[in-house]
Amino acid sequence: MGTSRPARAGQYLALLAYLVFLAFPFLWLVSTAFKAPRELGDLHPTWIPKDPGLDNFRQAFDEQPLLQAAGNSLIAACSAALIAVAVATPMAFVMARHRSRLTTAATGWVVVSQAFPFVLVIIPLFLILKNLHLINSLPGLIMVYVVWSLPFALWMLVGYVRAVPPELEEAAAVDGASRLRTLVSVTAPLLAPGLVATALFAFITAWNEFFFALVLLKSPEKQTLPVILTHFIGAEGVADLGPLAAAAFLATLPSLVIFAIIQKRITGGMLAGAVKS
Amino acid sequence: MNSATKKGDTGRRGPSRRGSATTGGATDFGTWFLVLPALIPILVLSVGPLLYGIALAFTDSQSGRTAPTQWIGTLNFSDLLHDTLFWDSFRIGLLWAVGVTIPQFLLAMGLALLLNQNLRFRWLARALAIVPWAMPEVVVGIMWRLVYNPDAGILNETLRTLGFGEGRDWLTGLATALPAVILVGIWAGMPQTTVALLAGLQNTPHELHEAAALDGAGAWRRFRAVTWPALKPIALSITALNLIWNFNSFALVYVLTSGGPGGRTRLPMLFAYEQAFRYGQFGYAAAMGCVMVAVISVLLAVFLAGRLKGGADE
Amino acid sequence: MRVRRLPAALAATALLLTGCSAAERGPDEHGVITLRFQSLAWQKESVDINKRLVAEWNEAHPKVRIEYVQGSWDNVHDQLLTSFEGGEAPDIIHDASDDLADFSYGGDLADLTDLLPARLRADIPQRSWSTATFGNRIYGVPFLQEPRVLIANARLLKASGVRIPTPGAPWSWEEFRQVAKKLTEDMGANRYGVAWPLKEPVSATLNLGLSAGGELFRKDDDGKFRIRFTEDDAVVPGTVHNQVNTDGSASSATLGMGGSDTLPGFFGGKYAMVPLGFSYRQQINEQAPKGFEWTVLPAPAGKDGPAQGVSPQTLSVAEDSPYKKEAVEFIDFFLQPRNIVRLAKGDWMLPTGTEALKDPSLRTAKDGWATGTALAAHLRPAPAQAVRGYPEWKDKVATPAYQEYYSGAIGEAELRQRLEEDGNLVLARYQR
Repeated sequence: MGTSRPARAGQYLALLAYLVFLAFPFLWLVSTAFKAPRELGDLHPTWIPKDPGLDNFRQAFDEQPLLQAAGNSLIAACSAALIAVAVATPMAFVMARHRSRLTTAATGWVVVSQAFPFVLVIIPLFLILKNLHLINSLPGLIMVYVVWSLPFALWMLVGYVRAVPPELEEAAAVDGASRLRTLVSVTAPLLAPGLVATALFAFITAWNEFFFALVLLKSPEKQTLPVILTHFIGAEGVADLGPLAAAAFLATLPSLVIFAIIQKRITGGMLAGAVKS
Repeated sequence: MNSATKKGDTGRRGPSRRGSATTGGATDFGTWFLVLPALIPILVLSVGPLLYGIALAFTDSQSGRTAPTQWIGTLNFSDLLHDTLFWDSFRIGLLWAVGVTIPQFLLAMGLALLLNQNLRFRWLARALAIVPWAMPEVVVGIMWRLVYNPDAGILNETLRTLGFGEGRDWLTGLATALPAVILVGIWAGMPQTTVALLAGLQNTPHELHEAAALDGAGAWRRFRAVTWPALKPIALSITALNLIWNFNSFALVYVLTSGGPGGRTRLPMLFAYEQAFRYGQFGYAAAMGCVMVAVISVLLAVFLAGRLKGGADE
Repeated sequence: MRVRRLPAALAATALLLTGCSAAERGPDEHGVITLRFQSLAWQKESVDINKRLVAEWNEAHPKVRIEYVQGSWDNVHDQLLTSFEGGEAPDIIHDASDDLADFSYGGDLADLTDLLPARLRADIPQRSWSTATFGNRIYGVPFLQEPRVLIANARLLKASGVRIPTPGAPWSWEEFRQVAKKLTEDMGANRYGVAWPLKEPVSATLNLGLSAGGELFRKDDDGKFRIRFTEDDAVVPGTVHNQVNTDGSASSATLGMGGSDTLPGFFGGKYAMVPLGFSYRQQINEQAPKGFEWTVLPAPAGKDGPAQGVSPQTLSVAEDSPYKKEAVEFIDFFLQPRNIVRLAKGDWMLPTGTEALKDPSLRTAKDGWATGTALAAHLRPAPAQAVRGYPEWKDKVATPAYQEYYSGAIGEAELRQRLEEDGNLVLARYQR
């Protein structure tokens, strides 16, 4: 509104610089995906493929069950995101509003769980899931993803909850609403941007997660995309670059599309309205 | 266990200011109702394995089934004390963590502010901005290896086209390897930070912004006076988490350099990973993990002290 | 309160952990048993052949079903380690001999010595068996291997008029150095006679070092391995070091590259020769620009001839598998000479089996097959892969030391000192 013309131009320029920096490896990935094998060995690579074709995509689909893996990934990532947000929000609410030893313990857990080498946690986790008969099953993997994204979810949500003016909740409490009611009808709507950001985080983390999926899933028909992607990589890190790029490009799309659709929610300006009313 | 914890909780909640002020015993049940869905999976799938992992640090646990595991007290820790290679990698890890986290935060802040402006094609810019995050880590590593390739990489190719000489061997030069991987680290972690900050920016009361603008406050003044106070809790949380994550990241560097050249990019997590998964020395690796946790805790304690104080003021 | 919750959580965990027992497995209601075969086949042709062989077996053996599981070279070690610790490993395991030592010593793999059929024992030469033998027990069946060869730009080689080596008369290391120098002079500025892709410097150096009599690891009278870096051990590293730092005939930029990273420069005429594994021919065949002429030359030879070390691909059986006999029967079927020829061609590698090696399709001059086949008799077990502590020595001591030596940051004296002193400290910890 009050921004001057040169300032606007500067903003666009800065944004462009950001996007070039952030997106160019992706554009390179796209370019690689459409190149023929012969062009991949070129000493002077070009951005635009000289002889673009879909061979890499065809080969990728031919060699690996990409669609099935994408379906598994989608189920795992969506469930993990929804469950993580559903269980983390109430706890974050309690942590943010009541300083108790629980808060301290939870904070400590967040630090330890993120700072301790996860490779050492995998084996006991494996044994526990085995006893719960959750090895080689998507529900087991989803539970692991939920727990794995909780530290971030809790920490961020606590921050978002703290930023919601407590007066609103207190007003509701005076009106006689229960804690849960307050949470659902007053706090949650104000938290919407934070909830969406958290869900997105959980989704992308689960969508890209590799090691747990590798270790916990055995049957070929249950594998997720990141594990399937490594099947394009051979001994000594030799990659079947064309099909790998094609498959990786497709694997990246869902996250981008979902984000393009929900990005408005993250900055929907809901709070401004709520405070006014 | 359930009733015991509940009773304990009631006893402990007394001093808590707001908890006792608003409601009585009924809410305690309500509180637990709110907390349990997250707490149970955390206890079973995270705290359990973590305690097990930490306990390993006091054993001589190894891979395979031939050698029985024994408690060996703090022997692993005293060995670790003399492991100069580990402390070298620790130094590299700190350099890397700070070198990635700070630029990451500053750049992400700038980007979040831009994306919060009412610019055209904002939706597209936002979607493109999360590209690094949306790409699987293995693929990110491979793509950047292609970018840095001394012969056919686009980085050197661009430098040559622009007339900046023949370029360098970025990932394998003893001097350039660490800066080169740090750049990838910044790149890879920016979207998360940006999205978190972008969501946080929504807590800035719009009216205050307008009022400040009417008062003739410059952009920087408005940021300091209005935006930053509202954003601070989020900014602190995400920076603290970034610091932990970065200190502990290794998959990216593993694909890029495997810790080379000459150990110049061997992060502590990579070190612990090799110890556990390459050489099967679970006990020793767990001890490394404990030391890493301890150091990070100290680092964060300083950081969190400020955060908690800030929280107490609200 | 806190004191009470912690033991409770611990107790719950302990309950879960101790309740752990080996998975119950047995025939299903029709008496059919199922074995999991985890293959690392990667090239499309080789995956197809693997799957076809499994289908053929299932057709012929309705009571013993094999389930094909796709693994990946990229993460096989981590995945197997976790599976073994959790007691969920596949029954039949595809891997490489240099990855087997710890699993064998750790008791995760089955001892196959008495299970292997006589045909298979006789078909594969003893020097191949010894790659997968640890403590006199056989833990894997070595079936495919690849020597390191020099892949060269035929035109540049012809133009400079150097002697073209053959498996019968390979270059000596000194001759190789002169040839690289000559090529570099003929090629012009910023071009190099040779590109050494040494992302993994240790295995490349040790394997090629065998030709010059380099052993590095020596077993002392007390039965313990110690590292002694002799003059013979210095031949191959010295050649590389001098090519990069003295002659300027090898590019320093490729030292940290993997094999495939050097290919654009090779195709673009920037490098005349690249030492690569035999199977890289597949990639070159696929990516080389039209009209690019390449040829396969034997690696240089030292006083021990064209000898070099290899770590063959192997098939093993998990110790936990209740169906070891059936698993070995499948391996025997899988590795019939006619099948192994298909596998070798699919992966562009050499079979270990003598019968399969006689196949005429592996002896054609096309794509350099004949050169590789002629080298097969000179392939020996990679040095030190059976030495306990080798992986740690490799990562922590040898890799950085060789990397710094090749790039010119340190000299031979310091290389020797680090390999020996730091190295023997690591080995001592494993051989107490």
